[in-house]
Amino acid sequence: MAAVAKVSPGQAAGLYAAAAALRLAVFAFLPGLSDLLAARVEVSTPVTSFKRLQEGLFLYNHNVSPYDGGVYHQAPLLLPLFSLLPSFAALPLPTDLVYVVLDLLSARAIWRIADSGEAGSSALFTSPRRAKRWSGFVLAAFFLFNPFTLATCLGRSTSAFTTYAVLHAIANAVSGAPLGAMVALAFAGYLSLSPLLLLPPLVLLAYDRRRPAGPAPRSGPAFAAVCAAAVAGVLGALFLLSYLVTGSWEFLPSTYGVQLTLSDLSPNIGLWWYFFVEMFDSFRSFFLAVFWLHLSSYVAGLTLRIRRQPLVVLTLLLGIHGIFKPYPSIADTSLFLALVPLYRHVFPLMRYTFLSASVILYSAFLGPAFYYLWIYAGSGNANFFYAITLVWGLGQSLLVCDLMFAVLRDELEVERPEIVGKEIRQI
Amino acid sequence: MSTPPPADSGTTSSEPNVASASPVAAAPAARKEAPPEKPSDARRRSRIIFSFWLIVLLLGLPIWWKTTTIYRADLPLQEMLDWSDGKACRPVFPLRISIRAGALQEQEAQNLLRLTQHALDDLNDFSGHHLRLQLAPPSATASHDPDSVLTIRLAPGDATTAAFDPHEPILDITYPPNAVPSHTASSSPLATYVAGQLRSAFAEEQATISYLLSTNSIPSDHRPQGLAPDVAQSLAKRTTRSLRYAPTYHLTLSLFASGSLPSSWDIERAIADYMKPVLDVLSPIHNFTIDTQVQLYATPGVQSQVLNKEDLSSFINAAEWPLSPSIGGAPTINFVIFVGNQTIAAPGPDADPSRSWLIPQWGAVYLLPLPADTAHVGAATLKQPLLTFTSHLLALTGAPRSGSLPLRLSTLARIRSADLLLRASSTLGSLARLALALPSISIPPRVADGVATTIAHLRLACDSLGTPDGLRHARVAEAEAERAFFEKSMVGQLYFPDEHKIAVYLPLLGPVAVPLIMGLLNEVKAWRRRRKEKADEAKEKKSE
Repeated sequence: MAAVAKVSPGQAAGLYAAAAALRLAVFAFLPGLSDLLAARVEVSTPVTSFKRLQEGLFLYNHNVSPYDGGVYHQAPLLLPLFSLLPSFAALPLPTDLVYVVLDLLSARAIWRIADSGEAGSSALFTSPRRAKRWSGFVLAAFFLFNPFTLATCLGRSTSAFTTYAVLHAIANAVSGAPLGAMVALAFAGYLSLSPLLLLPPLVLLAYDRRRPAGPAPRSGPAFAAVCAAAVAGVLGALFLLSYLVTGSWEFLPSTYGVQLTLSDLSPNIGLWWYFFVEMFDSFRSFFLAVFWLHLSSYVAGLTLRIRRQPLVVLTLLLGIHGIFKPYPSIADTSLFLALVPLYRHVFPLMRYTFLSASVILYSAFLGPAFYYLWIYAGSGNANFFYAITLVWGLGQSLLVCDLMFAVLRDELEVERPEIVGKEIRQI
Repeated sequence: MSTPPPADSGTTSSEPNVASASPVAAAPAARKEAPPEKPSDARRRSRIIFSFWLIVLLLGLPIWWKTTTIYRADLPLQEMLDWSDGKACRPVFPLRISIRAGALQEQEAQNLLRLTQHALDDLNDFSGHHLRLQLAPPSATASHDPDSVLTIRLAPGDATTAAFDPHEPILDITYPPNAVPSHTASSSPLATYVAGQLRSAFAEEQATISYLLSTNSIPSDHRPQGLAPDVAQSLAKRTTRSLRYAPTYHLTLSLFASGSLPSSWDIERAIADYMKPVLDVLSPIHNFTIDTQVQLYATPGVQSQVLNKEDLSSFINAAEWPLSPSIGGAPTINFVIFVGNQTIAAPGPDADPSRSWLIPQWGAVYLLPLPADTAHVGAATLKQPLLTFTSHLLALTGAPRSGSLPLRLSTLARIRSADLLLRASSTLGSLARLALALPSISIPPRVADGVATTIAHLRLACDSLGTPDGLRHARVAEAEAERAFFEKSMVGQLYFPDEHKIAVYLPLLGPVAVPLIMGLLNEVKAWRRRRKEKADEAKEKKSE
C-alpha cells in the first residue's frame, strides 16, 4: 500500500466497531480467556496487574489504605476512577468498556500521529522516501489487531492507561499542542514513572511542531523550561490529589519506590528480576542504580544524535523501555510496535527484519511454554524462563537497532546521494 | 548505541590512500578513503560521548561511592581484646563467712577467728577465690546474714562435729569446751578444724571456677596452679554434661507406655509436691516452663530386657517419640518416664540396679515398673521418679554435687556468673579479631551498641561478682555479646573476599565500559590531531 488512500468516515467507524466488537465478544463469550490472560506474567506485572488493582480497590472501598498488605503498587488515582464504576464482580461490562474505549482512543492517537506526516518529514529533515507510507487507518488497524495489544486489553492490564497517555502526548505534540502533550506526559509518568524519560525528545518534538502563531515562547530554552514546569506542575497536582484521596504519602514508596527498588521480585518478561534474585544484598542498591542509569543514559545520546527527527527518538526510547524497564510487559512492546510502522519508508533500509521478527515470534511462543515448564510442570527451572526472556529482549533490541540504523542511513543518503543503493562496508 | 559508519574514518586514515573512481572495480584490498567528516558531525559525536560520560561521572560515580561504601562503626577493639585476654577484669570472688559464737567471749571469738583466717590463708592457693571470715554481731537475731554466703554457728558440745543445715546456708559446728584456743595460742585444733571444714565445703566451687578460668585465656599469673589432672577431667566431664546457660529452660515431662496402659497420671500434683520446691529455689538463676505428655504404644530404641551401658544411649527412640528439641526458643530438658519392666545392668554383682540415667545436655530417663493393669499413675508412685529427676536437673544445670542445697545453689549462681562473664568476654574478643581480620566487613551501628552495652554490663558484673547483681549483669552482657557477634548483615559477608568483587562488577560493567572508554579514547585522539593540525597550519602561515 504505497499510496495513501483517502479513508472515508464509514471505514474508520467500521474499523473501530470491529475492534470494539472483537474485544467485547471475547469479554462476553470467553471470560475464561481474559481471566487466563490477566493471570499471565507476560501481561500482568506487579505494577499493572488488574487482580492487584481489585485488591487495592477492595481495601480502598473499605476505608483501609490500599497499600496495606503490599499487593497494590499502582497509582492511587486509579482507585476513585474504578470505584465510580459498578463493581467488577457484579457487572463487568462498564470496566470492560473502559478498556475498549482506551484502546480505541490510543488507536485514534496513532492515526493522528500517522496523518501528521511527522515520521517522513519533520521540521529539520525531510526523507526522500517519505511518499512510501501507510495511512493512519492501517496503523490504527495494526495497533488494534496486534495480538499483544489485544492480550493487554483482554487481560485488563492498567498499562493500557499509560499507553494511551503516551500516545496522546505524542499526538498532541505533533499537532502543535505543547501544553496538552506535557499534561498527557505527566499523566503517563504519574501512572508508571518511566515515561518521564521521554520528556526531552517530546519537548523537542513539540518545539519543532509548535504553531507559528501560538502563545508558546519563541526561544528554545524558554520553551523547554515552560514545558518542564508544566510537567512538574501537573505531577505535583496529581501527587497532591493522590494524597487527598489516600490520606497519606504512603503511595510514593508503594508505587514509585517499588519500581525504583524492585522490591517485588515476581518473574516477568524483563531482565531485572532474575538479576536481582541472584544479586548479593550488599551490591543490590548499587546495581539498582546502574540499571536505572542504563535505562536513562540513552535519552541524552539518542536525542543529540537524531535531533532532526524527535519522533524517532521517542519510538526508539519506547522500544528501549520495553526491554530494560523494571517491570516490562507485552503492553510496552505493543506500544513500540504501534509506532514502528510509521517508518514504513525506511523499512527497505532495514537489514534484519526477518531475523528480529522471527526472534520475537519465537520467544512469544516459547516464553509461555517455558514458564509452564518451570512453574506448573516443574520439569524446568527459573533459568528456562529467564533464557527465553533474554531472547525476547534480544529480538526487541535487534528491532530497535535495525530501525535506528535505517533512520540514520536515510539521513546519510540525503547528505551524500552517491551512496544510495550501495551496501555499507566498514572502512 | 552504534555510531554511523563515517565515524570510524579517523582510526584507519593511516592506510595508503588508493583513490579509485568506481567502487565496483576496486579490489577488496584497495580500500576507499571515506570523505572527510563534517565538523558539525564531529562536534555532535563529541557531545554524545560527553553526555554518556556526564551520566557516569555525575551520577554513576557518586552512587557507586554511596552504595558500596562499607559502614564500619567504631569498635573499642583494644578494650574488647583486653576483656577476652582477661586483662580488663580479674575475676575475684570475695566470699564473706559469718561466725556466730554466742557461747564465746568477744575476745575468745576474735582470737578464734584470727587463727582460722590464718589457717585458711595458709591452705588457699587461689587468690581469685577468697574466703573472708567475720564475726556476726551478737545482737543480730536472724539466723543467717544475707550478705554472707555462709554462717558458722559455733556451739559447745561433747565432741568436734560439723553438720550443714538442710534449709539455710548454715554450718553447725560443736566443739568440746577445752578446744577454745587460749589468748596467746598461735594455733588451735578447733581453728584448723573449722578451716578444713570450710575448705572442703568450697573445694568444688573453687575447682570449678579455676577450671573455667584455665579453659579460657586468662593470663596465668592469677590462674590457679596445680589443678590435679583427675579433678580437671571430672570437671570437664561435668561441664560437658550440663546445659549451656539460658535464662529460661523448658521442661518436658513425658510418660511413655509400651501398651495401652497407663493412660493417665497425676503429674500436676506430683510436680507441685516434689519438683516445685527445687524449681522455686532455682528461680533467681533460671525460669522454668513445663509441659507434660503421655504417649501410648511407645517402642523404645532398645528392646532387650536388661539394658547394658551401651544400650542406654540408644534407648530413646528419637525417630518416633515426639520429643521436640526446643519449644519457644528456650532450651528443652526432657524427662522421660518409661513404664516397663526393663532393668539396667548393675555395675557390680552386689550393687543395686539403678532405675534411671542422665543423658548429657538432653535430660533423663526413668524406668518405672508397674503392674500391667494400672490405668492411672498416682502422685505417690511418681515421687521417686520426680525426686530423681530433680537431682538430675541440678546436675544438668551445672550445680556442684556436694554440700547442702542452699550452698550448692549459691555456688551455682557464682559459677554461672563466672561462666557467662568469660563467655561474653571471649565473644567480644572473637568479634574484635573478626573486625581486624576482615577490613571489608561492614559493622552496623547495632553491633557497636551491642558491644558498648556488653562492656558496660561486663564491668558491672566484674565489680559485683558473687552477688545476684553480678549474675544479672553477666547474663545481659552475654546475651548482648552474642547478638552483636551474630548480626545478620555481618554473617552474610563473612565469606566474601575482595576478589569476588571482580566477579560482581565485571560481567555487566565490563562490556558497558568498553564502548564508553573506546569512544573517549577516540575523542581524545581526534582532539590531539586537530590541535596538531592547527599548530601546523599556524606554522605554515608564519613561514609564509
